[in-house]
Amino acid sequence: MENEFILKWTSQVKKGVLSYIVLRVLGKNEFYGYELIEEVKKYTEIEIAEGTLYPLMNRLKKAGLVDSKWVEQGSGIPRKYYHLTPYGTKTKAGMDVYWGNLCNAIDKIQ
Amino acid sequence: MKRITFQHKASQRIYDDYIKRTKRSIRILPKADQEDILMEFNSHIYEGMERGKQGEEVDKLLDILQKLGTPEEVLQPLVAEKKMDQATRTFNPLHVFKALALNITNGVSYIIFAFLYLFLFTFVFLIFAKIAYPEDVGMFFDEDGFMAIGMTSLGYGDGVREVLGHWFIPCMILIIIVLYLFITLLLRLKRTFLKK
Repeated sequence: MENEFILKWTSQVKKGVLSYIVLRVLGKNEFYGYELIEEVKKYTEIEIAEGTLYPLMNRLKKAGLVDSKWVEQGSGIPRKYYHLTPYGTKTKAGMDVYWGNLCNAIDKIQ
Repeated sequence: MKRITFQHKASQRIYDDYIKRTKRSIRILPKADQEDILMEFNSHIYEGMERGKQGEEVDKLLDILQKLGTPEEVLQPLVAEKKMDQATRTFNPLHVFKALALNITNGVSYIIFAFLYLFLFTFVFLIFAKIAYPEDVGMFFDEDGFMAIGMTSLGYGDGVREVLGHWFIPCMILIIIVLYLFITLLLRLKRTFLKK
C-alpha cells in the first residue's frame, strides 16, 4: 500500500474532495472551525494542516456556499459557526449525485 | 480580541508569540478582516486547549499550534485573496500594487495585469520628458491626421506639428487615470467571472 504512486494519488484525491467533505459535514449541522476539523477527521483519515481549513472556508463563503456568524460564549472568546446557504445545500445535492454516479461507475469496472 | 491566559509562563510566551506572528502576517489587510482572522485563530487555540486530553499545558499548546501551522505560510493564500478583494473594491493604487505583488505567483493573468499597469508608466515618463524637453515631446499630427504620441530627438519633418501644447500634461494625466480605472475594472471583472 505504501507505494509512492498511491501516496501521491491519495494526496491529490484528498485535496480535490476536501471542499466536498466540508460541505457534507455542514449538511448535517452547523459547526465552528475546531469542531468542523474534528468532524472531518472523525469520518475520514484526512490529516489537513488545520490552518488551511480557514482559507478554504473563506473561499466557500465567497462562492456563496456557506455563511458564518459569530456567537458569543461564556468564556468571552466567541465561536464562528459555519452553515450551508440555500445555494450551498443545492450545490451539495448536485455534488452528491455526481459522486454517487462516479462511485457506481468505478465499481462496475471489474 | 480577548486574549487567552495560561497558567505557565512558557505557554503564555509561546501563545503571545504566535499571536504576534499572526498579526504581522495579516497587517496588510483591512482592520475588520484582521480582527476576524485573529479572533478565529484565537478561538481555535482556545477550543483546542479546552478539549479533554490531560497533560502538560505547554505540550497541548505546542501540539495545537503545530497542527494549525505557521501563520505566515497558512495565511498567505487568504491574505492574497482578501487583499485583492480590497484592491478591486477600493481602486486604491497602493492596495492594487500590494495585491498584485501578493498574487503574482497565482497565475499568468496577474502577470499580464502587472504589465498593463507598468504600461501606464510610459505616460508618466512622457510627462517628465515634456517638462525636461518641451519642444521634443507631444502629440504629433501630419497631413493625414494623428501620427504619434511620444518623444522625438530628430526634430520633426515637414507638415508634422504638435497639437496639444500646454494641454499635453493634463491630457496625459487624464489618459493615465482613465486607463488605470479601465484596467482595474478589468481586474475586477476577471475575478467576478473567473472564480477559482
